[in-house]
Formats: sequence, structure tokens, C-alpha cells
Amino acid sequence: MTAGARGGNLQKKNRIQKNISAWAIMLPTLVLFAFFIWEPILESIRLSTYRGIGVDFSRLRFVGLDNYRLMFIDPNFKAALSNTFIYILWSLIIGFFVPLIMAALISETAHLKSAIRVAIYFPNIMPGLATAIIWTFLFRPGPTGVLNIILGWLGLAPFNWLSARGWTIPLIITTMTWKSAGSTALIYMAGIAGINPELYEAATIDGAKPMRRFWHITLPGLLSLGKTMLILQIISVFQVLYEPMMMTNGGPNNKSISMMMLVYQYAFRDFNYAMGTTISVFICLILAVLTIIYFALTRKVSNE
Amino acid sequence: MKKMKALCLILALTMLVFTVSSCTSTAPASAGSADTPPAETPVSAAPPESEPEEQVTGTFICGIWPADTDYVALQQHLVYEAIFNAEHSNIEFVRFYYKYATDNFLPMVQAGTVPTIFESWFTEPAKLIESGGARDITDILNERGWAEAINPSIKELLSKDGKIYGIPRDAYALGLGLNLELFEQAGLMNADGTPQYPKTWEELAAAAKKIKDETGAAGLCLLAKDNAGGWHWSNIAWAFGANLVTDNGDGTFTSNLDSAEAVAAMEYTKSLKWEYDVLTADPLSEDWGTGFTQLGTGAAAMYIMANDATEQPTANNGLAVDKFALVPVPAGPGGQYSLSGGTPYFFGANASDAEVNAALDYLILMGKAPVLNDLSIAGMKAGNATKVSMGAPVIQRFPCWTLQELIDKENEITAEFSNVNEALYADYFKAVTTEGNLRLEESGQTQNMYAELTKVLQEVLTNSDADVAALMKTADENYQSMLDNPTA
Repeated sequence: MTAGARGGNLQKKNRIQKNISAWAIMLPTLVLFAFFIWEPILESIRLSTYRGIGVDFSRLRFVGLDNYRLMFIDPNFKAALSNTFIYILWSLIIGFFVPLIMAALISETAHLKSAIRVAIYFPNIMPGLATAIIWTFLFRPGPTGVLNIILGWLGLAPFNWLSARGWTIPLIITTMTWKSAGSTALIYMAGIAGINPELYEAATIDGAKPMRRFWHITLPGLLSLGKTMLILQIISVFQVLYEPMMMTNGGPNNKSISMMMLVYQYAFRDFNYAMGTTISVFICLILAVLTIIYFALTRKVSNE
Repeated sequence: MKKMKALCLILALTMLVFTVSSCTSTAPASAGSADTPPAETPVSAAPPESEPEEQVTGTFICGIWPADTDYVALQQHLVYEAIFNAEHSNIEFVRFYYKYATDNFLPMVQAGTVPTIFESWFTEPAKLIESGGARDITDILNERGWAEAINPSIKELLSKDGKIYGIPRDAYALGLGLNLELFEQAGLMNADGTPQYPKTWEELAAAAKKIKDETGAAGLCLLAKDNAGGWHWSNIAWAFGANLVTDNGDGTFTSNLDSAEAVAAMEYTKSLKWEYDVLTADPLSEDWGTGFTQLGTGAAAMYIMANDATEQPTANNGLAVDKFALVPVPAGPGGQYSLSGGTPYFFGANASDAEVNAALDYLILMGKAPVLNDLSIAGMKAGNATKVSMGAPVIQRFPCWTLQELIDKENEITAEFSNVNEALYADYFKAVTTEGNLRLEESGQTQNMYAELTKVLQEVLTNSDADVAALMKTADENYQSMLDNPTA
């Protein structure tokens, strides 16, 4: 054995010794990931190729990819898929800019900044189902609904908020925005805090008003972060489930049914976990594509 | 450096131990019965004398234990439990409050935590059996002589391939619940205190209109939030002569949702909203539970409901017993029908014979079994006494068991505890005991059919220009597609 080869082996041994503690520390996380994430994903893909009631493979029969054919001809699938994209569209219209504006306004605030921060984050600590139930009470039809009581004070007739044509998804998105905008605003505020304060000082000295400072300093400074948040929001809204389930049960006439509601109905109403996982795998594929876009964007951000 | 590495390794090992230990089952011994050895001899219907020294041979996980908030029922079950324990020293009694729900049942099956006995619905047997969540109790029922005592049509519902998987608790038939306070305010009462209730769907629209005009309350609470909407509506469709599904007898089904009769029934339903305007503010927010609230609190005068839920508008929602009546579902051009179903008991797949026998003994104590003895009589009386104290109507049940002496005794006890004017229920019971009146739910993929019908209901109740025939045609095509391409 040459001195070079001996040196190489020693180097390799040292590298293994050096990395062993890193691997040891990562091991529990890897075990948890394998148990709670990877194994269920693989098992879901496998289950999507079977048919029957329940999850006991001995009671199911292998059908290959036929469940995917059935998924595409399911009368509710088309509505659920298109609605999911409508949810995303409305979430971008309503939900994307609200936290951005909130963050900019709070950053410009001189007094009670911490109190306002806590206040805007407060809805986020409420359980999601509780939020949906509270908003259902607010939107309650007839003269006893909270919003309808306010309409009554204004001399207006009660309105059927959640079953009115064209209102259902925007109102559901409004409730989701109310709950989550605070936490997103905090992330934007952290981004704004990272912008060089000298830029603001210089602009203020030059006489730039808050709107102008927002337009020419804050917005360009948050552009990269905004791209990331956009993708994360799309991925999150794609999985919308309990808000429409609680507030409208997917109605009226499937106008608010989402992909995840379809999964829920198959799995937890019909015990048809095979079809539930089939749609889940389909959702997973779409989200994988969105995640690839997200990684591409974040890589670009880190390079910048 | 070495110390650091050792520290890292210890830390990593500790985390690994925590990870592994957190994945280890810590289920209490009493929570599951999979490991419980089967009893050598089944517990007989007539419980043996207690033997304190007797070895425990099973665990009876009582999944019909009431919620802590159901105070009156809880007091009853505490008495049942005490009697049970005195007579079953070989069986450990575990209180287990469980309300069957489709979203939690299968995980319980997988985890082996399904209680020994639990209640479900008559739409569920196929799912429960195919998922392996319910056990076959045919032999035990035959030994006790109970199998022959079950109402044959109910037994068929609870069986598969000749094996029986459940027994009935109660049966029901849909009728029309009335809020008599609103009927009084609308001047729709007879001199003898009975309501001038609608006999046909056309009369219902007129009566509902009068009530709305006179009181401001909705004439009818119609459901359109979830599948219960389609469930109730199928009863309306039958009255219009619709036959929603045809069983072809070869395992296939034909959807008839777009038949002229079904379209006529849906047109009528649409008119209740847009022509008569007699429904609650938004039927799309109404489900089974809110319907009772609307009826009980005087927000609606009429609601399609069954005899087994009369405590809902009364005891649970404040309507006085004497202000409630149950009348037949109105008739239509196709006849007068009542949809019939019920609540069955099922038994966990892991329960041993001894444990199932213990559960059946418990049902005797509750007066819900085809056994007539002092214990069952006491149970029936206690049940009725509870209803009286809660302010719920004591009315006769639908016989789930064919044991005539049991039916007679039950009727006798009901009469003894009666707290209602029987004239307010007489026509209902007359109608549902009329030959050909009762109809079981449609065959095929019933829940999917209800879902399709509910979608149409939602459309016609929110869109005055909705094309009913086109919507029913779409629903028919959708449902036929599901029938032709079963996913399970």
C-alpha cells in the first residue's frame, strides 16, 4: 500500500468519524420522517391501486390504475378541481395583498407597534374549526345572523351570505385571510426590518411620503420574499378542507367543494380509503410540481 | 472534542429512545379486547348467581354509555351497571362513551379499540361488515333464540350472506312534526285540540303559507345542507309517484332520478321557495339537528321527522309536550308513504363470545332485548320515567322484535307512563301501520343518490330560474355513472 493510498483511507475514516455524530443526531428525525411521512406516502400510493372498503389489504383487491380512471369520471371531481383553483385565485386577490399592506402599515407605525403585532397575530392562535364556526354564526342567514343584524340596522333586508351566487368562495377566503393574514404579515415585517433603514431615512429626508417609500423601497425589497410566500400560499390553499366543510358542506350545488373535501368524503364518509388515497396522490403530484417551482424560486432568492 | 462527540452520541441515543418509546403502544389493558382469552362457556341469557371468587373471563366495553352531560340517562346506566356487576363477577365492566361517526370508526377498527357494543345507523351495515369492524353474532343469537325474534325485514338489513351482524335498538318511520303553538296562532286547530294538519303536499303548501302570513314563522323546515336533504326529499318524491332507483336483480341498478314524477316532486319543492315562500331563511344551512331547533323554538311550524326523535323538539329544544304533534307524511298523486329505518346495535370484531353475551345481558337490563322478565320490565319503566322527567313524549315504539308478549308489555308500560294526548299521534300510527305505507330507503348507492338530490335541492332553492328537468337529468346521469362504476 502506498503512502498516498494510506493517506486516502485515513482521510475517509476521519470523514466517517467526523460525520457519525451528525448522522446520529439526524437519525431520530429521519426515523420520524420515514415513519410519519415517507412510509404513509408510499403506502398511500400502494393503497390507491386497490379497491374495497377499509385499509386492510387482505380485504381489498388489486385494480392497478383503475381508481385513477374512476377519479376522472367522478361527477364531483371536475367541480372540486376547478373550485380548488378558484379558491387559489380568490386567495391571491384577497389574501395575498392584505398581509403585505398590513406589514407595511405596521412598519410605518410609531406607537403601540408590539400591541398591534399581538393583535393581528391573535386570530392565528384560534383553532381553525372554531374560526369556521364563529364565521358561520356571523354569516348566519335570516334576521338572527350577526351580519344580517347589522344590515337590519342599516334598513337592509337579510342576505343569505354563504349560499348567494358567486359569494361563497370569496367569503370563505375572507375567513381564511382573517385567520392567517397576521402571521404572514409578521413574516413580511421581518422582511421589511431587513431592508437597510438608511434607504428610508434618505427617502424621508428627500421628502418621500409613506406611499412613495412603500412603492420604491419596501415593495422591491420584499419582492423575493413575496414570491416565496405566493407559492406557499398556493400550496396551503390547495389543501383547503375544514372551512368549506363547516360553512357550506361544499354547496350550493358543489360551488364550494374542494379536492380535500372529496378525499374526506371518500375516506371518512364511505370508508373508501383507496379512492381517498387515489385523489390524495393526485393532489400530491400537483403539489409536487408547485413545490419544485417553490424550490426554484427560493434557490434564486438565496443566490441573490 | 471526544467529550463533545460522546455528548452528541448520548443525546442522539436519548432522542432515539424517546422516538421509539413514543411509538410503543401504551393502550390500557381494558381498552382493547383482542388479547382477552375467549370464555370457555358463554354467559347465558339468565345470568348465573354471582360468585365473587370467579375469575375474570372478559371485558365488556360498554360503548353505549351515555355522555356525562346526559344526566338522566347517566343515572339510569349507573343503575344498570350496578345490577350488571352484581350478576357478572367474571366480566370486567368498562364505561365507554362512544357516538358512532364515519370519520372515527375505521381508525378504531385498525387500532382494535372498537367497544364490545355500539350503536350505528341502518345505512351502515354493509360498510361495517366489509371493513371488518363488526363481528358475526349469528350463533350467539341462535343459542339465545333471539335470531327468530328480530323483525324479518330489519334482520335482512343487518345480515350478509346469512350471517347476522347486528340487532335493532329502535325502528322509525318518518312523519311530520308539528309545532302546535304556531298552528294555534294561525287558526289551524280543531275544537278538540287536534291540528288541522295537511293531508296532501298541496295542502301543506297552503297551510305553510297561512302560518307564514299569520305568524311570520316558516311553514316548513326543509333540509338542503347535507345528505339528509336528499333523504327527506326521497319521501316527498315517493308521494309524487317516483321510484328513484330500480334494482335490476343482477347486482346492477338503474337510476330514475329524471322521471316525470321525480321532476314534478322537485318542481313542487322549488315552488315552496319561489311561489309560496314558506321555508326557513336558508334551507342550505339546515341539517337534521337544526331542523329540530327550528321546530322546537317556533321558527318553523312543520318538519319531516320520525317517532324515535320526539325528544329533540321537546326536551332538547324547549317545546312543551302538549304543543307537539306527529302526523303522517302528506300524500301526493302517487300515494302516501313513510320512509322507515332505525338504530341498530353492533358488536366489535374483537369481542369474545363471553363479551358479546355480556353486552346482550346488558340490553336485557335496558329493556331493549326480546326478553320479558323483571329486569327488562324495570328497564322499560325506567326509560319511560326518564322521558317524562325530561319533558319528552312517551309514545309507543316500533316493534323491532316479533315477540308478541314483549310488544304487548311495552305498549302497556307506554300507556302507564303516557304524558301526551294520543289523538296528536293517532293518525301517524294509523298511517305507518297501514299495509304498504312503510318503505325502506332506496337500494343502490343510497348516500350518493342523496348527495345528488341535495345538489339539485340546493340549486332550485337558490336559483329561481333553475331548470328542474335539466338538473334532474344531470343528477340522473351522475348517479347512473356512479352505479355503473362502483368505486368500492
